[in-house]
Amino acid sequence: MLGRILDDLLTSPATGPCITATRHVPSRPPRLAPFPPSLDPRIADALRARGIHELYVHQARAWELIEKGHHVVVVTPTASGKTLCYNLPALQCLVHQPDARILYLFPTKALAQDQLAELEGLAKTLPEMRMFTYDGDTPQDARRAVRARANLVLTNPDMLHSGILPHHTKWASLFQNLRYVVIDELHAYRGVFGSHLANVLRRLRRICRHYGSAPQFVMASATIANPAELAQRLTGEAVEEIAESGAPTGDKLFVCYNPPVVNPELGIRAPYLGEASKLAVRFLREKVATIVFAQSRLATEVLLAAIKGGVADKTGDSGIVRGYRGGYLPTRRRAVEKGLREGEVLGVVSTNALELGVDIGHLDVAVLAGYPGAIASLWQQAGRAGRRSGSSAAVFVATSAPLDQFMVTHPEYLFGTPPEHARVNPDNPFILANHLKCAAFELPVADTERFGATDVRRFLAALEDEGVLHHAGERWHWAAETYPADHISLRTVTSDNFLVIDTTARDDKQVKRRQIIAEVDWGSAFATIYPKAIYLVESEPYEVQELHWREDEEKVAYVKRVQVDYFTDAISAKGVWILQRLADQGRPAYLAEQGEVLVAEKVVGFKKIKMGTLENVGSGEVELPQQEMQTTAAWLTVAPEALARVSPSREELIDGLRAVTYLLHHLAPIFLLCDIRDLGSWLGDTTPATSGAVATRESAKRRLMDAEEFHPTIYLYDSHAGGIGLAERVFEILPALLRRGLETLEACACKVGCPSCVGPVNEVGRRAKATARALLLSLLAA
Amino acid sequence: MQSLDDLRRMVRRIEPRRPPRAAARPVEEVLGGAVHETGAGPLVVVRREYPLAHAHGCAPLAPAFAAPLPLLAALARAEAPATDGRSLLFLDTETTGLAGGTGTYAFLVGAGWREDDRFVVAQYFMRDFDEEPALLAALAPVLERAGGVVTFNGAGFDLPLLETRFVLARRRWPALLSHLDLLRPARRVFAPSLADCRLATLEREVLGLERGDDVPGALIPSLYFDFLRTRRAAPLARVFEHNRQDVLSLVALLGWFGRALERHEGLGAAEVAGLGRLWEPVDPERAEACYRAALAVGLGGALALWVRLRLAASEKRAARWEAACALWEEAARHAAFDPRPWEELAKFHEHRRRDFARARVLVESALVRARAAETPARVLDALAYRLERLRRRAR
Repeated sequence: MLGRILDDLLTSPATGPCITATRHVPSRPPRLAPFPPSLDPRIADALRARGIHELYVHQARAWELIEKGHHVVVVTPTASGKTLCYNLPALQCLVHQPDARILYLFPTKALAQDQLAELEGLAKTLPEMRMFTYDGDTPQDARRAVRARANLVLTNPDMLHSGILPHHTKWASLFQNLRYVVIDELHAYRGVFGSHLANVLRRLRRICRHYGSAPQFVMASATIANPAELAQRLTGEAVEEIAESGAPTGDKLFVCYNPPVVNPELGIRAPYLGEASKLAVRFLREKVATIVFAQSRLATEVLLAAIKGGVADKTGDSGIVRGYRGGYLPTRRRAVEKGLREGEVLGVVSTNALELGVDIGHLDVAVLAGYPGAIASLWQQAGRAGRRSGSSAAVFVATSAPLDQFMVTHPEYLFGTPPEHARVNPDNPFILANHLKCAAFELPVADTERFGATDVRRFLAALEDEGVLHHAGERWHWAAETYPADHISLRTVTSDNFLVIDTTARDDKQVKRRQIIAEVDWGSAFATIYPKAIYLVESEPYEVQELHWREDEEKVAYVKRVQVDYFTDAISAKGVWILQRLADQGRPAYLAEQGEVLVAEKVVGFKKIKMGTLENVGSGEVELPQQEMQTTAAWLTVAPEALARVSPSREELIDGLRAVTYLLHHLAPIFLLCDIRDLGSWLGDTTPATSGAVATRESAKRRLMDAEEFHPTIYLYDSHAGGIGLAERVFEILPALLRRGLETLEACACKVGCPSCVGPVNEVGRRAKATARALLLSLLAA
Repeated sequence: MQSLDDLRRMVRRIEPRRPPRAAARPVEEVLGGAVHETGAGPLVVVRREYPLAHAHGCAPLAPAFAAPLPLLAALARAEAPATDGRSLLFLDTETTGLAGGTGTYAFLVGAGWREDDRFVVAQYFMRDFDEEPALLAALAPVLERAGGVVTFNGAGFDLPLLETRFVLARRRWPALLSHLDLLRPARRVFAPSLADCRLATLEREVLGLERGDDVPGALIPSLYFDFLRTRRAAPLARVFEHNRQDVLSLVALLGWFGRALERHEGLGAAEVAGLGRLWEPVDPERAEACYRAALAVGLGGALALWVRLRLAASEKRAARWEAACALWEEAARHAAFDPRPWEELAKFHEHRRRDFARARVLVESALVRARAAETPARVLDALAYRLERLRRRAR
């Protein structure tokens, strides 16, 4: 069935021309190795009982290296038996030393549950196995028993951070006897989360030293460019990498699909969400299990609505397709996972939340609606379709954004490029300072002590000035009433979540009962749940009635269920100002600098956009506070002579520079393993922060036009307060980024600019593409 | 960060021009204590003695040492009871916060015990965090030789906190410490009659003690942090006094329980009923005696309803139907609607008497009351179901 649909897709006149490339990945047989001689016979029997008579070569290699005492990271594709790489040494250890302790870390609670089930299956016949999960779902009265009994604890970094390390005396036997720390889904720990985890592990290793243990780290990661480097940055230890998989794979077809051009003049292509939903419906109608990855929460909801509609036409049952994303409550997500495993749910539309190894059984097709921002994620998402045998397919549907268009028209790049580097910045000052507080809370910090390899004396002194630490007897002690871990979320640089409460919900007896339907983090709250915003949950629209955001209020959005055919998109005013210059590089046509900036943003209104046609059908105003953050940025100020060479008109130059800004921002993620939203961009100037005020696109343009001196500056900044290492990298690659920008612009077939190169023509103006090209040429001239 | 260093350099340049601050008076002098050398460094110990006749509020200290300890321990469901009142240790800590975890310190530990005909309170105080080893070294032998520890909320707070401190300092924690946490019996006895069971409330309402210039507990951590920065000990005097009062209250409260268990006179009805609840797991008969005594002196409210149902259940088990019915009927007359006495009465008439008509009348009036009160649907459904069955049986 799958073969027939794919044939049709490739050859039919409607879709055939949209296919820009295909890549066939043939099936591969397994490469096996015998059980290692040192493997306990009871474990070997347990494996045989589950039908495993030999190991894959990477599993055997992991065993060997772990046995020699190395820290290891295993990097092999989805479903290649990674878990056995760490489960075998763990079980062996507990069979021989029941008093040893082992800690497993997973990025989510669901994964820990999955893994516990798998371990229990394997360990059924083994003695002395006391395995428990310990997380936010563990009932209070069961926690003491877990602490006392468990010799294998499965938890997540958040719980380790706020529930275990600050209470390490209650876990003394764990820390005294900790033999292995297993970290799965290592690739998930990049950016903010990874920078936090590196610090949590610094704290963990400190506590272990206090109790006299030195655990061995065993890690597993999906494919990224630098797994060993990431593992070393996270653990602070030298790590051996195992990258060669011995697992078999099934036959797989990867298809690149570029939506047809519907307006050649403006270079407008058919909306990619519509194309992706058509493709998904085609598979689902033939009962082919399909996962659709969308690139944002909003896109997930819009796609889900469209696909449900399309599927219902035919089968009358839209319930076989479900949505899945962060912000849904855990019970809803568990139900979807179970439905997928058991086949009651045939299709799922998800954000990258399902990129991780949550067990959802076997799917046949993955539709990637939009480039996920990184080659690593692309393969990870494509890998969700098809497991060890049988054929499967993945279809990448390009959006009209420059990055997507570059990828879909340069398949050699897509297929040939090694995946990106995962970056973490454990020394982000905000993150580091927060974890130092926790570290001092856990155990006074000695004057001579380093945190990881970092000298933190400056930070400690600053924290004493702040009144939370106190120096006595050559050590820094926690000297405040609070419990610092409670105020530090590992998922964001700063924390605070909003609860979304449906005031119109009714229980089974039809009695009105307020119900929490989602959570939204502080960072995105003002742009998604402002008053009158339409907030979608499983494609059901809710209108926000009130948003409580003030300091002394509980952070809540009250919403009501509504029937509308539009969604809303926030309009914001913004400003970026330089605080401190840390590095610069002069070129003939521009000055590139890198340092710290102040970014201020304020949501001032919203557009109403009709579902389906995506036309603008109205707008509204919003009164919300301005949000400010300090972060790192790279910026580029164009020399006046270079500007003069391009055009005498300020307006034209501003439009052209905006076009360049758009292009650079959209292409930068190629060079960084990051989401496009991890970066922000802005065209401003070098006015000092003290005299600046936020402005919408329109007013910012007027301000630049009227300014006495014209020093236009393109900012690319890290969207996370304090920065997670992206801006430094942007600064390094700026010349390459400019070149890539020119290539992309010149390769684009549109006449006057389109979303695929310099941005929509109605936003940047009709001369923008030409001006942008002249500017880029001028900037790149030696 | 650069700017912060600049600032600090600047401050350092200004600093010497200010007149040197007068050296703070030593803590032990200000607080009336002495510096003790422990094997693990020095610390300040403040020692006070009280005669056993000392009146704490209107409660003397002596009765605590005559209290029936094994009984009290059993009533409080404590582990091994102390054998001798003279070996009891009364313990209360002042801490750097309520958050718990490894970053909360007990900077002041007040310990009280009997020495001949006096009651001694010794307060162990660390002048800075680096004196914690000395504080624990001084405290360890005191804990070791205690026959039992008396606290208020020690099970939930003071003892786990001290245990954490001991483990952190790699000291052996006396694991088998027998412990009487007065909060548990206090909750049983006073929860129905007092607004809350905080120690301050019990002092006022039970011991008749008004603390004059007491420092609010919530301020104590910041007073200590201020001291760490300024080295001025005078504001801490109130913290020490607060801690001593807490220790004395433990003694007085233990005395109150000892006396109340033997004689009820002077007690309110709710307290007598509360004592019954205390007896419940140890001696159900004495518990019932307390309940009856409480009803006799006019116990009311939700507790009375609970007591009647409890007594009725016991009569029912003994098949003393008349007594049981009398109690249920009284319970059914309570202003606040409760379905249980009605159901019990209906069951009695249906199954024992086989008087379906009477049972039906009972259920019908229960339903009327239930609808008037805001009763959960589940209860209404159960009553309606019973009524339906009775209608069928009556036919």
